[in-house]
Amino acid sequence: MRRSALTALLVLALLVVPASAQAAPRIVALTPFGANTLAKLGVKPVAVGQTLGGRERISPKLKGVPVLTLSHPNGPNLEQLASLEPDIVLSSPTWAKGNESMGDLGIEVMIREPRRLQESYSQTLAIGKLVGKAKAAKELVGQIKKQVARARRDIESEPRVMVILGVGRTPFVFLPNSWGGDLITKAGGELLTGGVESDSGFERISDEVVVAENPDVIIAVPHAEEDDIPSLAEYLRTNPAWAGTNAVENNRIYISVDNSLLQAGTDVARTIRKVRRSYLDNWPG
Amino acid sequence: MSAHGPASHQVSVSLRRPLVYGALIVALAAAVVASLALGAVKVPVSVVIDTLLGKEVTGPERQIVETLRLPRTAEALAVGAALGVAGAILQGALANPLASPDVIGVTGGAGFGAILIIILFPGSIALLPIGALAFGLFAAALVFAIAWSGANRGSTGKVILAGIAVLSLFTAGTTGLLAAYPEKAPSAIFFIAGGLTSSGWEEMQAIWPYFAVGFVAAALLIRPLDRLALGDDVAASLGSRPHLIRLGAAIAAALLAAASAAIAGLVGFLGLVVPHVVRMAGGTSSHTFVVPASALGGAALLAAADTLARTLRAPIEMPVGPFMAILGVPLFLWLLRKVV
Repeated sequence: MRRSALTALLVLALLVVPASAQAAPRIVALTPFGANTLAKLGVKPVAVGQTLGGRERISPKLKGVPVLTLSHPNGPNLEQLASLEPDIVLSSPTWAKGNESMGDLGIEVMIREPRRLQESYSQTLAIGKLVGKAKAAKELVGQIKKQVARARRDIESEPRVMVILGVGRTPFVFLPNSWGGDLITKAGGELLTGGVESDSGFERISDEVVVAENPDVIIAVPHAEEDDIPSLAEYLRTNPAWAGTNAVENNRIYISVDNSLLQAGTDVARTIRKVRRSYLDNWPG
Repeated sequence: MSAHGPASHQVSVSLRRPLVYGALIVALAAAVVASLALGAVKVPVSVVIDTLLGKEVTGPERQIVETLRLPRTAEALAVGAALGVAGAILQGALANPLASPDVIGVTGGAGFGAILIIILFPGSIALLPIGALAFGLFAAALVFAIAWSGANRGSTGKVILAGIAVLSLFTAGTTGLLAAYPEKAPSAIFFIAGGLTSSGWEEMQAIWPYFAVGFVAAALLIRPLDRLALGDDVAASLGSRPHLIRLGAAIAAALLAAASAAIAGLVGFLGLVVPHVVRMAGGTSSHTFVVPASALGGAALLAAADTLARTLRAPIEMPVGPFMAILGVPLFLWLLRKVV
């Protein structure tokens, strides 16, 4: 009897151990969105990717988790990545070539870099399912939706906004299918793009279009440091090509250096509030 | 038949030069008109003309023509002419048909200088043209220092090898910076691919002295380069100093190419191919013809290519390099087949 009970316990243990191992795959999250979603679901990835632009956006809950340096075209160093023995990598289309090589290493690669708010909800649910926390993910999505609704309340003015990527006088504009472009729209801005479409979410447009569309607000996302903001703003304000636009004449050229418009995150409501308060000037009170 | 052959050949050669000049001037005029009349925003030709004549024009059209298209056209003409002349005098001075501003390191240096500012000092982005100019000239100075020292100083082979080494060094630096800061690559791509921007007269105001000195030096070198074309020994027997001519030509080319890179980024192809095209079309290698004709041809080609680059997928602007190849390569290949 005792022997049968022990055998039954052993069998049960053997069944339970693989099941729990399956429930906790080793995940590397290369995108801030992937890393922070895992953190909010209470899962620690084995490593996270550096934030593009060098400004930290990774949740404090992930303090101490190794950070992988990312570079074109592979993303992380593949040897370093392989040594972590991940089962899954949450990656971005930016590392398209590296994603292929990761696949060759037998690692499952999932693109988790949403370009639209709506997409971020479905990707959150997918991550939840992946780590066995579907219910928590559903609750998280509900929570973010509520926060976003609060952040979008009482939008009265809808300024015409152009969002520029990079430094220099060659404007790459954010398109509606970019994270920043979508959030500007959600914050009540009318995103100006000259009617351009591109799968990349960004495109270099003519200065003639900037003059003709006459934006009320220009937001530049230059991959720079806080200290660079005054000189960059002055540089853009004195761009002869944009002289005469409402944005220049009313001194409404802003510099965003915190990466929140460039890469998706879970801090959506905070970003929308910041855009409304600091740039669009349509936050109540 | 044989009695008429050489005479008729001489006539055809002497007629070819004015014909080529005529064709280049027509092409240049057409390119300038297209550059001013066409763009991402449709501006009626009458408004373009009124603006250029200083008549009363209101609204964004005036700004588009006056502040965007006019300086951009002027930049295309200056850069195109400068690269054409730089290529012509370098090919003459180094007696090498493959010589171009790349060979003296300017392109590599200018690219590194610009990317350094874009990536590491974005707050000083206003200094980009100066950074490109300074590093372009620094790279050329390195090449000159290496090539004009030690054994065989100033020899063609030494200049070319030093140029290739310095170019590789700066190209490696540029690639390293781009790999280390991938997120900043989009800002740098346009500079590397080469292209004009609509940034008013500001850049030209800062850079024009370098163009001026380069063009004047190139003009002064025309006759010495023709003597150099006879060979170093013959040139020396005629009282010329071959190494000094070569150094002068390299410095003039460096000034022109670095100033061009400061304004338009790394525009390749033009400096290499345009001098060959005018040489083949004109049926002569005389620098009296090749240098001014390369200036006209380079200006026309860059103005036309820039117009295509900003109108073909308007309002998207594309790098100018591929369009120069589309316009220039068929003509080059046709001439190559007919003449060589």
